[in-house]
Amino acid sequence: MAWDESLSRRSFLRRSALLSSAILTGSVGIPSLFDPPAADAAIMGIGQELRDVLNEETVNRILVESLARGGDFADVFAEQRFRTDIVFDNGAIDSVTYGYPRGAGVRVVRRNQIGYAFSDEISYNALLDAARVASSVVENQSPVTPIDVSRRPVQAPFPIADPEPLMNEVAKFDLVTRMDRAARAVDPRIVAVRVTYMDEVRDILIGTSDGGYLTDRQYLLSVSLTATAFQNGERRSGYGSLGGRVGESYLTRVDPEEIGKRAATQAITLLGAGPAPAGPMPVVIGPGWGGVLVHESLGHASEGDAVRRGTSLLAGRLGTIVAAPMVRVVDDGRWPNGRGSAAVDDEGTPTQRTVLVEGGILRSYLLDKQNGALLGLRSTGNARRMSYRQWPLVRMTNTYIDRGASDPASLLSGITKGFYAAQLGGGSVDTTSGNFNFAVREGYWIENGRITRPVRNAVLIGNSIETMKRIEGLGNDLAVEQSHGTCGKDGQWVPNGVGQPTVRFSSIVVGGTSL
Amino acid sequence: MPALSPQELMERVRSTAERSGASEAETYMEVIRFTEVRVRQREIELVQQSSIQGLGLRVFRDRRMGFMYTTDLRTPVLDEIVNRTIALAGQATPRDENKLTEEVLSTLQELEIFDDSVPALGPGDLANLARSAEQNAFARDKRIETTNDARCGVQIHEIHFTNTFIPYQTFHATSCWLSVSAVATQGSQRREGEFGDRQRFYADLQTPERVGRRAADRALAKLGAAPVKSAKGPVILEADAASQFLRSLLGAVSGQNAADQRSFLAGKLGQAVASPLLTIHDDGIMRRGLGSRPFDGEGIQSRRTVVIDRGVLARFLQTTESGRRMGVGSTGNAGRSYDSIPNVGPTNFHVEQGNQSLDKMIAGVGTGLLVTDLAGFGIDTVSGEFSQQVEGQWIEGGKIARPVEGITIGGNLGEMLPGIDAVGNDLELRDSVRSPSLRFRELTIGGA
Repeated sequence: MAWDESLSRRSFLRRSALLSSAILTGSVGIPSLFDPPAADAAIMGIGQELRDVLNEETVNRILVESLARGGDFADVFAEQRFRTDIVFDNGAIDSVTYGYPRGAGVRVVRRNQIGYAFSDEISYNALLDAARVASSVVENQSPVTPIDVSRRPVQAPFPIADPEPLMNEVAKFDLVTRMDRAARAVDPRIVAVRVTYMDEVRDILIGTSDGGYLTDRQYLLSVSLTATAFQNGERRSGYGSLGGRVGESYLTRVDPEEIGKRAATQAITLLGAGPAPAGPMPVVIGPGWGGVLVHESLGHASEGDAVRRGTSLLAGRLGTIVAAPMVRVVDDGRWPNGRGSAAVDDEGTPTQRTVLVEGGILRSYLLDKQNGALLGLRSTGNARRMSYRQWPLVRMTNTYIDRGASDPASLLSGITKGFYAAQLGGGSVDTTSGNFNFAVREGYWIENGRITRPVRNAVLIGNSIETMKRIEGLGNDLAVEQSHGTCGKDGQWVPNGVGQPTVRFSSIVVGGTSL
Repeated sequence: MPALSPQELMERVRSTAERSGASEAETYMEVIRFTEVRVRQREIELVQQSSIQGLGLRVFRDRRMGFMYTTDLRTPVLDEIVNRTIALAGQATPRDENKLTEEVLSTLQELEIFDDSVPALGPGDLANLARSAEQNAFARDKRIETTNDARCGVQIHEIHFTNTFIPYQTFHATSCWLSVSAVATQGSQRREGEFGDRQRFYADLQTPERVGRRAADRALAKLGAAPVKSAKGPVILEADAASQFLRSLLGAVSGQNAADQRSFLAGKLGQAVASPLLTIHDDGIMRRGLGSRPFDGEGIQSRRTVVIDRGVLARFLQTTESGRRMGVGSTGNAGRSYDSIPNVGPTNFHVEQGNQSLDKMIAGVGTGLLVTDLAGFGIDTVSGEFSQQVEGQWIEGGKIARPVEGITIGGNLGEMLPGIDAVGNDLELRDSVRSPSLRFRELTIGGA
């Protein structure tokens, strides 16, 4: 997102505060604590702009201190978030949480070495201390002079029209209530429904020793619903979600009732489902969230830190075959409304579309500044961090297998006995061995070219290159999931998009109980 | 840093909330100082040193709850936090359970959770320990050519608490850790093995020699691994894998989930749900325990709770709120951070030590599987479905025959827990959730 001068943080938060007070005075009748003068005074605290505290001059001085003992480069990263979490459980609001985390960190990099320190207080003195601590990693080098920072423009990857109403409490409560009601109405065997709502506005400010000074604002919405069905002592869950990096129009386009209904229907379908098969068989995976497979199979192994250390199985394999010839794999940090999208990464590098695999051949790694430099390559804009309390790692953004030409239904034909994964859960990978797994939330038998009986949840497993070579059909129905998906690496969790069309594999091992 | 002490700051926030219309208010504050050093190929790759401070405020008004957290402790911000949290409470649904606890702590026992020698460890000491651990991994075998890294760190954690009924109380705790992720190489095959220890007291931490050696051994054991054919058979989860399995069971013994029908154990209190060999407890007052603490996230005194008693489901873990919903008291299991409302969480959650050595457990198996690593999101504590990607060793004639990978194990928790036929005597307290090795009579192995 570009910095929008017409919508300053102050007016933005002030509107939300006034809305809260309207509800407050309307519902419980205590005196408003948000009369306009009081609100103004208070918001000087809460909605304070990052650049009011960290202007170019301040950032320059911190960077000088950071490189006083030497180093290749240094950066200052400040962040503030305003986050709302609502848990709607058993038909009532269980909890509403407002979060206001805020702070800044300083990083000093020399070759493969990183010094990092942060402060929960954004002040010149606190960050000067952080700079001294971070620079301690560099021993006995001569000082380096950073280039004076100057403001750099940030180009939004896609427009977000009027995200402000996402901060309107009435609209939030209405949304979760509608989803909940629709899910409950599906069947009396639905015994529990929980909706979790999260939205966040994240402001970041980055100052770099190569002269960059950037600010960006990032919006994120994620609402998910879990329905539990119960019958004859058996419990099953169904799941649905909506969201992304979206504005007001998104909520008029999506159908929250439909998402609640689908989740409840999934839980009901799974009641009475038979055991999943165990062992290798032909597998077809549905579009969208199915992309968690490529995220695990090739995505993580292509991340430049593991490649640079030589511990990734893709290290030294550029230009070699890593998938079936029909496969193109893309990581796109500018995918419209994608969970992993942003104008710039957390080092201030503009995000981009990177083709990782073309024609089955590994074409590129994902890189940040440090690992790019160590490999003699340029950053691909894939440096991301969970918050100011962490240094950036090489991460995926929105990663997908590109569309093919087949009609998705035709991909089932010729399979006498196989497995269809309609919806996946989470996955994980060991990037050294390439062994990976992902859970199936909703799976079916394929019998004689048709999807037949539902089966209980199970994991599917594979080995990265081997499995990607077994792709034998790609649908024309590419979808990139943007409403949920959070990837953990080294303790840092960041929102990610994953995607694929319907994909057919000649064989994958299914981890059920039926032999 | 704020000019006020944590106690002054919290009491100020609490009393402002009470004056501004909250009938009850609770403040929870954390201050964490930590340092970590990572070494790779004998060179320092990372030095991180920082401190965290954050405050969470929970208020109740007419049995409606509001919660807000911040790391920005400037006075005007805190004043606004108070106002906004009270406004939030006005929007929530009133619920009978929404009430703070009034239970004041009795005399505290000595838990030994603070070690003076931990804060004394500087980045240089940590770097030396990490370097030595990595060096010991290299020294173990020529095939350990590289590592992902070796890590050593220390943390000093302060908790500050007060609510409308409970006066200010606080505790300080330390922890330190040392780990290595070794990579073994043979031809074109590379396999990773990790070993780590974490303790409250530096003196209890395993030596760099032992940490490095065990990481190397784990990586070396995986070289040459290949799938086996699908079969049904006995499966042993070695202590690390069993501990991971135990962690995934936490969701099923949460009173919150039981009250909401989100656990396969819901409605089974007093019933046999596992083998009589299995006893699981949660012990918040264990001496030097990583999960030990004088009081929980709601200020309630810690205690020891037997969850599964020789196979019988004895108790769910409860917070005040979940306990009220189920008509029982809190078990002192309100886990939280300053940025979250209290939720059911473990303290020291352990399977009690059994009487068989791992070797004896292996010898008792004709043909079967020893699992050393579990992975995947295939454990569903709502339905009880269990499916995992595993690595380990194939057992033939009661002896380890060859390494395996690329296989799965599957079952249903409702049948698996009663089917445990041996519990190991190898409980090793390197984490707050730990189990000795467990042997299951029969699971489905999905392979080639």
